[in-house]
Amino acid sequence: MKDLFIKLAKIDRRYIFLLIAVAVILPFLMPLNFPTRATSHTKSVFDIIETIPPENNPILISFEYGPSTMPECHPMAYAILRHAFARRVRVIGITLSADAAGLGEEALQRIAKEYDRKYGRDYVFLGFKPGVTAVMLSIGEDLKRTFPRDFYGKPTSEIPMLDSVHNYTQIPLVVPLTGSATATFWLVYAGARYHARVADGVTAVIAAELYPYIQTKQLAGLLAGLKGASEYEHLIYRAGYTKTKGQASRGMDALSIMHLVIIAFIILGNIGFFLSRRAPRKGDQA
Amino acid sequence: MIPMDTVWTWIAALLTLAIFSFLYKDNPFYKFAEHLFVGVSAAYTLVILYYNSFVPNLIVPLFREHNYWFIIPGLLGLLFFARFIPKLGFLILFPIAFTIGGYAGLSIGPGLQARLLKQLQGSMLHPADFADPGLLINKLIVLVGILGTMLYFYFSKEHKGILKVATNIGIWFIMVGFGAAFGYTVMARASLLIGRVQFLLTDWLHLIR
Repeated sequence: MKDLFIKLAKIDRRYIFLLIAVAVILPFLMPLNFPTRATSHTKSVFDIIETIPPENNPILISFEYGPSTMPECHPMAYAILRHAFARRVRVIGITLSADAAGLGEEALQRIAKEYDRKYGRDYVFLGFKPGVTAVMLSIGEDLKRTFPRDFYGKPTSEIPMLDSVHNYTQIPLVVPLTGSATATFWLVYAGARYHARVADGVTAVIAAELYPYIQTKQLAGLLAGLKGASEYEHLIYRAGYTKTKGQASRGMDALSIMHLVIIAFIILGNIGFFLSRRAPRKGDQA
Repeated sequence: MIPMDTVWTWIAALLTLAIFSFLYKDNPFYKFAEHLFVGVSAAYTLVILYYNSFVPNLIVPLFREHNYWFIIPGLLGLLFFARFIPKLGFLILFPIAFTIGGYAGLSIGPGLQARLLKQLQGSMLHPADFADPGLLINKLIVLVGILGTMLYFYFSKEHKGILKVATNIGIWFIMVGFGAAFGYTVMARASLLIGRVQFLLTDWLHLIR
């Protein structure tokens, strides 16, 4: 038994990769439909959008993720856009990351089409602007001066839904969807400086460092990784805003099984490690 | 005629498999996909930067709107390239000084407020907290965690006696923090794999809907 654990601790890592692959693929082919329960910080984001009056002030979604973090952030974008468009809440899309421009545009166009929302009336995409913190601060002064033209080159002064939007005062919620430290930048520059209400949608890697800001209420809500996206999909599905659960929910079975496999390997690896430390090595004196 | 969508899906699927092949061992397929990714990403970023930043922020105001004030930031930006001319390399200090000075000025106030003052405020006990036992327990845990962690990084006195007890508590909180961060990191990486597998099974193989 002891030898088995020691051998397992030294197993070729490619067998582990193979097991992980099986753990990911099987739940897609044979769904287990584990229940989803929304955490309070995901529900906060949902509740805020629920209270925003339709066809009024727009929410601002900042797309700040590239293809590498797309599996986590893109389902969040879809879910929040579905919620907003279903309730006729207007949306301003921007991006502070050059490689997110195409992804942001695709998300807006696809979900707007699903709910028959019109560009310029229900949503706009202002595109990419370099400068990150400078852009966040500049929106606080004047949105249209920060983005004189939209992503397609049309002057923002000619876009009807932006007529009454000058700065964060007219934006009831700012939602950065990001896989980087810009999540906290929004709190600092839009939140602390201009009192904007910020709710982050972030990759799981940086979620842990954002929890202290929820405790101090600087962050109005948080969607953390694929789980956060699936929770939001669950909320809008339960509320009847969409007929099918989204991409993140379909991936949760695989995520749960994969976590169990990883936990099992961590336990086995540790047992093997401690047993191999106790076992006498070759050449040791009795 | 094969639809273009199908062609692109096949290209994306084969490139995904080429990247995954590294898990077995390094090979030319992986190398090809890796280099292609780096090249395409750099070119895409360059094009987006040119059309979304350089053109609207410099070319249009300067040459179409004839707003000649934009010559100043334009020249300041050009000085970043001075480092390629050894004799004029020192000129890069001007745009760097401008950038650092500007960002420091803009960051210090809001940064202090959001990252320090409001967080400190959140860790303090308020008379209203005593009305809700659950909230009080949470806040006490936060307070003990902050004091223990800060004392752990206090190096002006040897960690002995009561200080050792406090710093040991700090270590436990730090470890829990690391554990949470690691757990989330595992979840993030697993999510990326799930995203790719979902693409392969849905868009490429059509095994699931």
